[in-house]
Amino acid sequence: MPRRKLIKERVPTPERPPEERIKDFKEVNLGYTFELAVREAERCLQCPYEYAPCIKGCPVHINIPGFISKLVEYRNDPDKAVKEALNVIWACNSLPATTGRVCPQEDQCEMNCVMGKVGDKINIGKLERFVADYAREKGIDEELLFEIIPKIEKKGQKVAIIGAGPAGLTAAGELAKLGYDVTIYEALHEPGGVLMYGIPEFRLPKEIVHKEIEKLRKLGVRILTDHVVGKTVTIEELLQEYDAVFIGSGAGTPRLVNAPGINLNGIYTANEFLTRVNLMKAYLFPEYDTPVYVGKKVIVIGAGNTAMDAARSARRFGAEVTIAYRRGEEDVSAREEEVEHAKEEGIKFVYFVNPVEFIGDENGKVKAVKFEKMRPLEERDARGKRKIVGTGEYITLEADTVIIAIGKHPNRLIINTPGLKVERGKIVVDENMMTSIPGVFAGGDAIRGEATVILAMGDGRKAAKAIHEYLTKKRQEKANA
Amino acid sequence: MPYKILDKKELAMNEVMYKIHAPHVAKKVQPGQFVIVRAFPNGERIPLTPVTWDREEGWITLITFVRGKTTMRMANELKPGDEILNVAGPLGNPAPMEKFGRVLAIGLITGIVEVFPIARAWQEIGNDVTTLHVTPNPMIILKEDFENAVSRHIVEGFDLQPGWGMNEIAQELVKRATAKVRELLENEHFDMVLTVGPAGAQKAIFNVVKEFGIPMHADLHPIMVDATGMCGACRVTVGGEVKFACIDGPGFDAYKVDWDELIHRTGFYAPLERLALEHYLKQLQAQGGEQ
Ligand SMILES: Cc1cc2nc3c(=O)[nH]c(=O)nc-3n(C[C@H](O)[C@H](O)[C@H](O)COP(=O)(O)OP(=O)(O)OC[C@H]3O[C@@H](n4cnc5c(N)ncnc54)[C@H](O)[C@@H]3O)c2cc1C
Ligand SMILES: Cc1cc2nc3c(=O)[nH]c(=O)nc-3n(C[C@H](O)[C@H](O)[C@H](O)COP(=O)(O)OP(=O)(O)OC[C@H]3O[C@@H](n4cnc5c(N)ncnc54)[C@H](O)[C@@H]3O)c2cc1C
Ligand code: SF4
Ligand code: FES
Repeated sequence: MPRRKLIKERVPTPERPPEERIKDFKEVNLGYTFELAVREAERCLQCPYEYAPCIKGCPVHINIPGFISKLVEYRNDPDKAVKEALNVIWACNSLPATTGRVCPQEDQCEMNCVMGKVGDKINIGKLERFVADYAREKGIDEELLFEIIPKIEKKGQKVAIIGAGPAGLTAAGELAKLGYDVTIYEALHEPGGVLMYGIPEFRLPKEIVHKEIEKLRKLGVRILTDHVVGKTVTIEELLQEYDAVFIGSGAGTPRLVNAPGINLNGIYTANEFLTRVNLMKAYLFPEYDTPVYVGKKVIVIGAGNTAMDAARSARRFGAEVTIAYRRGEEDVSAREEEVEHAKEEGIKFVYFVNPVEFIGDENGKVKAVKFEKMRPLEERDARGKRKIVGTGEYITLEADTVIIAIGKHPNRLIINTPGLKVERGKIVVDENMMTSIPGVFAGGDAIRGEATVILAMGDGRKAAKAIHEYLTKKRQEKANA
Repeated sequence: MPYKILDKKELAMNEVMYKIHAPHVAKKVQPGQFVIVRAFPNGERIPLTPVTWDREEGWITLITFVRGKTTMRMANELKPGDEILNVAGPLGNPAPMEKFGRVLAIGLITGIVEVFPIARAWQEIGNDVTTLHVTPNPMIILKEDFENAVSRHIVEGFDLQPGWGMNEIAQELVKRATAKVRELLENEHFDMVLTVGPAGAQKAIFNVVKEFGIPMHADLHPIMVDATGMCGACRVTVGGEVKFACIDGPGFDAYKVDWDELIHRTGFYAPLERLALEHYLKQLQAQGGEQ
């Protein structure tokens, strides 16, 4: 490729202005057009594959310069450009419209992008999203899918997947492409996991998640919703019927603040609040039947992605929203882009406060939260965050709705399986993603605690490879016997 | 995954039975467990209890009290041959299956449907079960089924007075139920009491049972959303600890339940539920107008 001039500045993606977007749940970021995408793509230095630091930063190692170069190479034929680019992405990632939207790129692929030394890093996430969106709108993803399907060679072995979140969906897709007969058991009425019930529409439109999942169905993956493993069927029973099992049941159990008053009315876990709003579409009540109460003054406790999503959702009901966090601004774990968006939307932040009591009125409804003021120490914990201690000073903030977003544990119905080794609430796996039960593999939040979409997908891929090896051996043993 | 409605019947006033093809539930369900049903694309998820089932034929029956938007929509819009969008389960823990001795199992209004599978199973394993149904007279259901299944079935019915709303019915229910339970406990010996019904009435019965010091098992009905332990909407305080009724219950030791908290929490959505019902009734009227 001819040497080009360095373009230091990122091509911006259009966004809807805060005043407009806080009135609805439609997507905030509008994404690139083909023209803008090509201009951004041209900024990439096309570092060599073995060296490119962006690829190393991506947990599933997408060939980033590879897909970006297609956009530039076929700039005169947008459909072809996108098809070629998508083909490169699909080799490693089957949900690019999702990851392009929700990955913390600043900590992953974009972190080490060499363009950062001379100007802005390449906007890899938005380029990935563009390719996936354009392909979906033009039906290019279908074309590609129909080229892949006839090449699949059936293996005649069955795999059960527990949970239709990013981990389970990815494992299912990979195994289906390898020719296995795959069935997903999902507890809820919609597949998608956190993508469906947790992350709000204004960041990840549900229509997109539906379409990404439709692709898997076309690959032959069967999805049984309303099936709660541990109740409807046990892992032991699955092992009778299937040759291998993958657990991708996530970390769905909310942690509660251990303080008096936690069961007052008006106190939600973020999971309940977001499930009502996203999965059940309570923001469209009474057109949709599920109700949700959002008061005038909302306090959200925590500062991860979940807290940002809960706060921004509550804001869209017209509430005044405060995020209360026990550490400082630099410790906030949510994605940069989301924190920015939250601030633009008028959400207030209070730092170094830890809830010690929820105060209710005579009807058992919350009216205020009492916090202890905290102070940071020099010492750091295992995750590199500063430790904090109480100061013995207190403040009380008024609130008629409180949303608790301080983290989650893996699903109890799964981790209580006899013989399944669990440490500190997380399922233990070996280097092949196999659990203590032979033939049962696991990945995603179920083994990590609350992590990210792409790490869950990376686990799903890795487990699919390990399951393939395990089942290949089984086939050979059977053939030799 | 749609589930076919094989049969539907109005058993009594506001009491509708659905027989549904749901083999995954029928195969596994135990007395004390429930399912989550979502009947419509824009619908909510509501907990209901399989009353009878056939593991081989793969069906369950559900009986709903038509009380709000969802149960009314189901009663109005679903016909035999239609499909229910989602039936998830079985959920929750089975009721304890032990030989207690003489048992008094109490169902308040539609709560009696949840008593049925448990009382029948308790009788089958050698308990001497008396069931008590306290309800408005036009809502008496399952009378013969109980008479065939347990030692003795008592119906304590009362007439509805013109102009009564839910509050008056609830008051009468509590009055009748506590008086009847007191009478039974004073005159006979029981080793165990079970209740299913509205939280306020359950608490009133508990206060009577407590005086006699008899063990009591209560099936609780907090609001539920997912019912798989993911949201905590159903949390209740039991023995000073926070429990999720959908995975730790729904049955608990009545002596350990924080009844007042449960009563507050169950009523939280009442105004929005009224709004939903009014919205639905308006829609029905509008449709009626067009015809
Ligand atoms: C509000 C919120 C916002 C987030 N934002 C981001 C973000 O911007 N970027 C990012 O990278 N990450 C984000 N995360 C984290 C990310 O969503 C998770 O790390 C990821 O979804 C984990 O994927 P998973 O497949 O392991 O589990 P999940 O997505 O949790 O899926 C698990 C699935 O298993 C099902 N299941 C559970 N138990 C059973 C059972 N017993 N039987 C059958 N099915 C069962 C569940 O219903 C669910 O569908 C966010 C998380 C939340 C809650
Ligand atoms: C474990 C369990 C088993 C149940 N089994 C039965 C049954 O077999 N038959 C039956 O008729 N009813 C049963 N119920 C109660 C049933 O779920 C409610 O009657 C139903 O949700 C009412 O919906 P609605 O829209 O018609 O009325 P609404 O107007 O929404 O509600 C009326 C009242 O029902 C209660 N309620 C509403 N939504 C829920 C919910 N999601 N979870 C729990 N309670 C709620 C509230 O107290 C509310 O005030 C059961 C509840 C639980 C928790
Ligand atoms: S590191 Fe940056 S400049 Fe280099 S290939 Fe990756 S995206 Fe392009
Ligand atoms: S209903 Fe959500 S945890 Fe029980």
